[in-house]
Amino acid sequence: MDATLAEQQRVLASDWGGGKSPFGTSWSKFMMWIFIISDALTFAGFLIAYGFVRGISQKWPKQTEVFNMVLITFMTFALISSSAVMAMAVGAARARQPKLAVRFLALTIAGGLIFLGCQAYEWSHFIREGARLTHNPWGVPQFAAAFFVITGFHGFHVFSGVTILAIVALRAAMGKYSADGVENAGLYWHFVDVVWVFVFAFFYLL
Amino acid sequence: MAHEHDVNAISYKTYMMTWFWLLVMTMLALGLGYAPIAERLKALLLVCTTLAKILLIASIFMHLRYERINLIMITLAPLVLAIILFSFTFPETLGSASHVISVR
Repeated sequence: MDATLAEQQRVLASDWGGGKSPFGTSWSKFMMWIFIISDALTFAGFLIAYGFVRGISQKWPKQTEVFNMVLITFMTFALISSSAVMAMAVGAARARQPKLAVRFLALTIAGGLIFLGCQAYEWSHFIREGARLTHNPWGVPQFAAAFFVITGFHGFHVFSGVTILAIVALRAAMGKYSADGVENAGLYWHFVDVVWVFVFAFFYLL
Repeated sequence: MAHEHDVNAISYKTYMMTWFWLLVMTMLALGLGYAPIAERLKALLLVCTTLAKILLIASIFMHLRYERINLIMITLAPLVLAIILFSFTFPETLGSASHVISVR
């Protein structure tokens, strides 16, 4: 009987025994990771479709001549900086320093808003030059379509991230926050940054 | 969580250093965008720079280096699946005239 009980405890204590999480993390954080993985696949689909369309096109506009690369680099700087500050916000939340966490969250939100402002400017400039989903002055219809779909979908993620962070910051300011909640919001924000790193390299530079 | 202690041990200095290297690699990628080199070499170097940046963000900012190997492995799933999907579509773009989009 003792041997059976010992065996039962050994199985439950193992990673896949059901007694504990095989991923060693809270359910909310694990769910955030599952969401990030599924969302990453969506963006992978977009970027691979872009690569396919570009590969079968006889010519493709030179992006560094079409886009204002100073603005795009500044947008990248804003997003990477906000990601660094977000990591510090998580650190402050874990260290039980809510006021510091709120300050870092406010800076992260500011970075996101700067990015969105620059993107709105870039979109309006691109549209004024005649770019539409179905046609554009550079001769390859898929060029503008890829731009609007990829940067638009990413921009919507940034907007969602800013909204989520604003709620988290508000709750932290009211003292109603958990370090796990701040970390989960942070994971989403870093993911948005990761996607932009891909978009910056493969859409704007390659 | 078991890894909380490790995560708490990350200093602001580490985050600042990571931020600095991410900016350095961003400038490097920008330089590659303008560099007068072969497109294939440019693509290879941009992929390397991008993967290095992703690795830094995931391991330091997203604390993945402090997570269990089980969690780390599942986060690699999109990358592996994307490579498979890319390998399916890439040969289609290598010169079959029937697939080429003509430009007016």
